[in-house]
Amino acid sequence: MSSPLTRPGRFPVLRDILREPSARIGLVLVGAVVLAALLAPVAAALTGHGPNQQFRAEALTETGLPTGPNGDFWFGADGNGRDVLVRTLYGARISLLVGIPATTLALLIGTAVGLVAGFFPGRTDRLLSLGTDVALSFPFVVTALSLVALNKGGDGRPLLNPVVLVIIVISLFAWTAFARLVRNLVVVLRERPFVEAALSLGASRRRVVVREILPNVLPVVVVYWAVQLPVNIMLEATLSFLGVGVQAPTASWGSMIAEAQRSSLYQVQPWFLLGPGIAMFVTVLGFNTISSGVRNVLDPG
Amino acid sequence: MITYLLRQASRALTTLLIVLVIAFGLTRVAYRDPAAVLAPRNADQRTLDGITRALRLDEPWYLQLWHYLYRGPDIQGAEMGLFHWPPALGYSFRQQRPVTELILEKIPATLSLALGAVVIWMALSLLFGVIAARRRDTWVDHGLSVFSYTGLSVPTFLTGILLAYFLYFKLSTYGIRWFPGGGYVPLAEDPFQWARHLLLPWLTIAIAEIGVFQRVVRANMLDVLGADYIRTARAKGVSERRVHFDHALGAALNPVITLGGLELAALMGGAIVTEQIFGLDGVGRLAVEAAVGGDFPVVIGTTILASAVFVVSTFVVDVITRLRDPSGAT
Repeated sequence: MSSPLTRPGRFPVLRDILREPSARIGLVLVGAVVLAALLAPVAAALTGHGPNQQFRAEALTETGLPTGPNGDFWFGADGNGRDVLVRTLYGARISLLVGIPATTLALLIGTAVGLVAGFFPGRTDRLLSLGTDVALSFPFVVTALSLVALNKGGDGRPLLNPVVLVIIVISLFAWTAFARLVRNLVVVLRERPFVEAALSLGASRRRVVVREILPNVLPVVVVYWAVQLPVNIMLEATLSFLGVGVQAPTASWGSMIAEAQRSSLYQVQPWFLLGPGIAMFVTVLGFNTISSGVRNVLDPG
Repeated sequence: MITYLLRQASRALTTLLIVLVIAFGLTRVAYRDPAAVLAPRNADQRTLDGITRALRLDEPWYLQLWHYLYRGPDIQGAEMGLFHWPPALGYSFRQQRPVTELILEKIPATLSLALGAVVIWMALSLLFGVIAARRRDTWVDHGLSVFSYTGLSVPTFLTGILLAYFLYFKLSTYGIRWFPGGGYVPLAEDPFQWARHLLLPWLTIAIAEIGVFQRVVRANMLDVLGADYIRTARAKGVSERRVHFDHALGAALNPVITLGGLELAALMGGAIVTEQIFGLDGVGRLAVEAAVGGDFPVVIGTTILASAVFVVSTFVVDVITRLRDPSGAT
């Protein structure tokens, strides 16, 4: 992890990463997902199918079963006669819309905690480490269930927008990973000559943290952001799969898969499951491939 | 050694206590409006007043914390409070039963699921990891690494549905009924049926974990294989197979145990999803149904249980790792 710190600049690293074959493959996959999210309204306009619009007459058979792929509905329809392709594309938006802010929020909290814990050894460090331990000992899914159960007003309606709640819940857990990473980096950096020099020249501790330590930690943290993003995208999908994440009728890959499973409709219309399933797989695989490429560059061997 | 144990134990206890107090804070938020999160649907004012009285919601918070931690007032004949035996995790007014009782009923299914999955994932990832290290950079190694990536990139719920689709639904349309699609048979009733019903759920959890562990085992094996004592063993003419399985594997195992304990402790998430897909009547399903239906005491009870399991097992893992390697080098 310390190798990027010893390199002369940040940009050669970036160039090496772009040359790494697996990082390239990953970037292409992730680029495709981002493109899909951006182009979702275009697909909706072209097909004339809104993401939540139901086409019971066209897309359901007389017995109420959804049709498979055809010229009109490329991925077929779901149990309510909605276009699976359009919903899958809109699902990419929700994944990124939840994953990116949640991971970024986690990065901000974690970096702040890690900087302080690493820079101030002793009591502050112990206290913050205890806080990290406590946060880690709440198992994610179960705790998310109880936080979601709390999100209920007297009239039974949610108090907070479920998407916002999911973002908060995920970042409440994800910051610990950043905090540990940053703390360990800072503990090493603190002993470096340039930090000692800045301190003995009379720079304030705050200035040293912000001006000397943060710029050295940041590249690693940003790379780690890309490592954590797919994890958090999976967490969102898991919550939506369990019915406590993004609420219907908003299209989320997790809830689409849950619906396909609950109604067993994927047995007659496999694309109902395969559409969101493949999208999910490509997204996570893309990020995992990027991060393994990045690892190959930063820590060869 | 003893100071180390004491320090770790006190750290675990502190963490546990903070966890409990946070859980208490959450119940305080929830109990602000008992009608929304506690009472049965369409409860009248008298029931609500009864709940307020039973939970002593009119008393100050420190008294409530005391009731919660040490010994609360009985609720409809059920003892409350966490620090007596058995600890009471709350009372579900929806189901008119103590939460502990509800959870205890469901624990056998969840425990069978977790333990079986661990056995499968540890065995397979050790095997795959050692093979991948032995055949480094051959097609075997590459094939296993593709498998590991796939396992990592497919969420548990998708793995489960795909297994259910191919091994249950597709096979049974051809008249092959090896794997049932769901349900739980108690071990004491019929061990064979127990394992048969759990095989797909075990695989569901194991596949994702093998993706992680196989890579850790492989990396550690390669690390250890470069060490001096392995060269000595080889020079002494120890067979290659024994070098890998007896000498290197033992040393490579430490990080695996540490990570394994953490993953096992955090298994609850995977268990919830798997129970949901295969209709296993376990703790996870209880929690999801309670969360969706708004039965708060059951959800927070499960959360407390899962956190306690996590804290205790990380402690145990710490101690085991330390006993295996008293120098504290890991």
